[in-house]
Amino acid sequence: MFSGNLFRLDNLSIFIGIFVGIFSLLVILYSLGFMRGRKGLFRYYFYIIATFIASLGVVFSNNLVLFVVFWGFLGLLLYLLIGFGQRRNTHYTAKKTFIIVGGTDALMLFGLALIWHLSGSLEINKISIALDSKAANWAYLCLAAAAFAKAGAMPFHTWVPDTAEDAPTPVTAYLPASLDKLLGIYFLARISLDMFQMNLTMNTLLLVVGSVTVIAAVMMALIQHDMKRLLGYHAVSQVGYMVLGIGTGNPIGIAGGVFHMLNHAIYKSCLFLSGGAVEKRTGTTELEKLGGFAKIMPVTFITFLIASFAISGVPPFNGFASKWMVYQGIIETAKAGGSLWVVWLVAAMFGSALTLASFMKLVHTIFLGQPSIMVRDAKYKRQETGPTMWIPTVTLATLCVIFGVFAYQVPLKVFIFPSLDVKAPFTGIWSSGLATGLLLLAIAVGFIIYLIGTAVKTRTTGAFVGGEVLDRHPDMRVSGVEFYETIRNVGILKTIYRLAERRFFDIYDVSAKITFVFTGIFRFLHNGVLSTYLAWCLLGMTILFYILFK
Amino acid sequence: MIYIFYLLFFGFLLTAVIGLLASWIDRKVTARVQYRVGPPLLQPLIDIIKLLGKETLVPTGASKTAFLLAPVIGFGSVVVVSTLLWINNINLGQGFMGDIIVALYLLTIPAISVIMGGFASANPFASLGASREMKLVLGYELPFVLAILVPVIKNGYAIKLTDILSFQAQNGVTVANLSGVLALIVALMCTQAKLALVPFDIPEAETEIGGGSIIEYSGAGLAVYRLTKNMLLFTLPFFLMILFMGGLRTDGIHLLNGILKYVGLVALITVIRNTNPRVRIDQAMRFFWGPMTVLAVAAIILAYKGL
Repeated sequence: MFSGNLFRLDNLSIFIGIFVGIFSLLVILYSLGFMRGRKGLFRYYFYIIATFIASLGVVFSNNLVLFVVFWGFLGLLLYLLIGFGQRRNTHYTAKKTFIIVGGTDALMLFGLALIWHLSGSLEINKISIALDSKAANWAYLCLAAAAFAKAGAMPFHTWVPDTAEDAPTPVTAYLPASLDKLLGIYFLARISLDMFQMNLTMNTLLLVVGSVTVIAAVMMALIQHDMKRLLGYHAVSQVGYMVLGIGTGNPIGIAGGVFHMLNHAIYKSCLFLSGGAVEKRTGTTELEKLGGFAKIMPVTFITFLIASFAISGVPPFNGFASKWMVYQGIIETAKAGGSLWVVWLVAAMFGSALTLASFMKLVHTIFLGQPSIMVRDAKYKRQETGPTMWIPTVTLATLCVIFGVFAYQVPLKVFIFPSLDVKAPFTGIWSSGLATGLLLLAIAVGFIIYLIGTAVKTRTTGAFVGGEVLDRHPDMRVSGVEFYETIRNVGILKTIYRLAERRFFDIYDVSAKITFVFTGIFRFLHNGVLSTYLAWCLLGMTILFYILFK
Repeated sequence: MIYIFYLLFFGFLLTAVIGLLASWIDRKVTARVQYRVGPPLLQPLIDIIKLLGKETLVPTGASKTAFLLAPVIGFGSVVVVSTLLWINNINLGQGFMGDIIVALYLLTIPAISVIMGGFASANPFASLGASREMKLVLGYELPFVLAILVPVIKNGYAIKLTDILSFQAQNGVTVANLSGVLALIVALMCTQAKLALVPFDIPEAETEIGGGSIIEYSGAGLAVYRLTKNMLLFTLPFFLMILFMGGLRTDGIHLLNGILKYVGLVALITVIRNTNPRVRIDQAMRFFWGPMTVLAVAAIILAYKGL
């Protein structure tokens, strides 16, 4: 079982390994500022570094048993790291996460057994299974479930929003937002590209999972009123694009999906870390209590804004480059016949608009708009966070811009294409650099119009609110939390939202309820009364004797 | 370098001139519908020049950089998307793969700039207006994407504008089919909302929230917003013309044909805006997610059936 190479370095694993290192470095730097003054910091940094090592183990191991060991360690470390949160529900969330991730790990072990049965090998580079038998299909599904749970795709996503809300912000930025995406999608790419030969049915399944994840998670994000929980739902929604990309099964789509994984890790951790800076300052993540931070923390505002545009797929940022490739991949599948590609494409593009909407809400409620009464009373001075906290966010925001504008020159050429063995196949592609140049030129034209006009010297006046004076009415404010109540009440969405809020679609809650039904029966049997037990023994013995001596 | 020329001459100058003219047509038709005389030909330009001379005011509590930057970014994106459309229309074969998607995305940036500008003004009315604009974007984006897919399907899964143009030059325009007609109706409604014209002027709603997201803008900022909107009045119908009507050809009699198509679309938009009252935002969203989406899906099914 342990013959052959235990570890293997190829372009894909080296590429993931490099970024695991970068994110670990940035998060440790950020934690120096964010976690200052908390208890158990030695343990905290120990867990972070252990996570880093275990992740490298996952990425570079070639033997599936070794892989599972590292993978299991990661689940445990995630559980321990969530425990550093200081919310009321932290313990419950940690347990839930551990059960979902651990449960799918068990599925993965089952999948490994099937693979051993099918191919007689557990070395990743030697396995190539055709999906033609029932066992092969089950093996793929079991492994895919583990990848989905790690990355946070539906239906195994429910731990991500809870963790985002209850874990400390650097932990959220480190695991669910960046590392778990890298590893989960890395594993999905490995099984879909190397270990199994995909067929149309399986690819369609991936496309369905991707589309549903994109739309459903972002619809939930729209109505959230906690900053971190909202970001958590986006961490789920974006996984949909990666799964879609891999599900297309053609080179440009797969490259797009893997590229989106990288981009997502960058902008989502930037969003969490920037949001964490506001949290550190105010001590709250409730959107209702924030507002007006663009003037208080301008650098954080800019990094948050860039990452928001990137995740919404606004050109020329990096999110657009990878989403555009995923769309291309989906349209490519149309040439093979069938009309379902319309559904995947519309889900992906409409999901992008919904993402934009929920980030506009966040930008308004945290940074722009009017400050809440709490912020007004606190009279925050204009002061940026410490350098340990802004250096990571600025680095990530810069990466968002560079990976978007120079998408083909830098990330695709250096990392993505070599790791997927795609040989720069695309001619006449979206040249982001040229488009950015043109955009800048056009904006310069706009500035010339400004210069002709009077925008150079401005005068400050009170806001016009129909004659009222805003300063005297601090309650006269649109917080932005309720922006999308209209959507909540449109037709059938009302019912779906109500069910979702009762956790009707939460695999953890649903299976917990099912488990309680069964334990209820056993609890009824084991009621601790001796005479009941004796009665059962008697009954059992009677049946036994009847069978033996009839 | 050739791109810079395209950008400055076609993307900015020509688009702006045609946009201002279209805005004049719009105002003139509106006036005629209301039994008024209407403005002289140069009035839209004069308005913008006048605004450029007025003082630029920034409300207290606003984030000044974002407030002043927002109009320019919207303007820039319209210039770039017009450049893209012009390049494709003039020089067949110049486009790149998937430029329709790029055009679609760039066409949402003006809405984003209106939203960011509204948010940055720290005015409750502006916040309300901007949130309505965002919801309107959500509303029309779904049927608009579906409607845009009809020409893609009709023209052999071409996702390049030039492919669609050359395909239509050989096999007849998209709108000659039933599916094309339905999709064009949907796309036209979405255009109305993209331009924030009545009945979908909910984000601005002067009588209700005093201009909404642009309530605080004056002087140069407002001038740029006005210019952007006038240019969109050219760019959006032009986009639809390329997808559904075979674009704008510049040789001989085809030029006249193209101008007629364009003026017809603008007149249609104007008539819609003059014969309807403003709807509420939830009504608008129901309209776009309900009937319009159904119509667009029907158009796609018809397109697959070859109609």
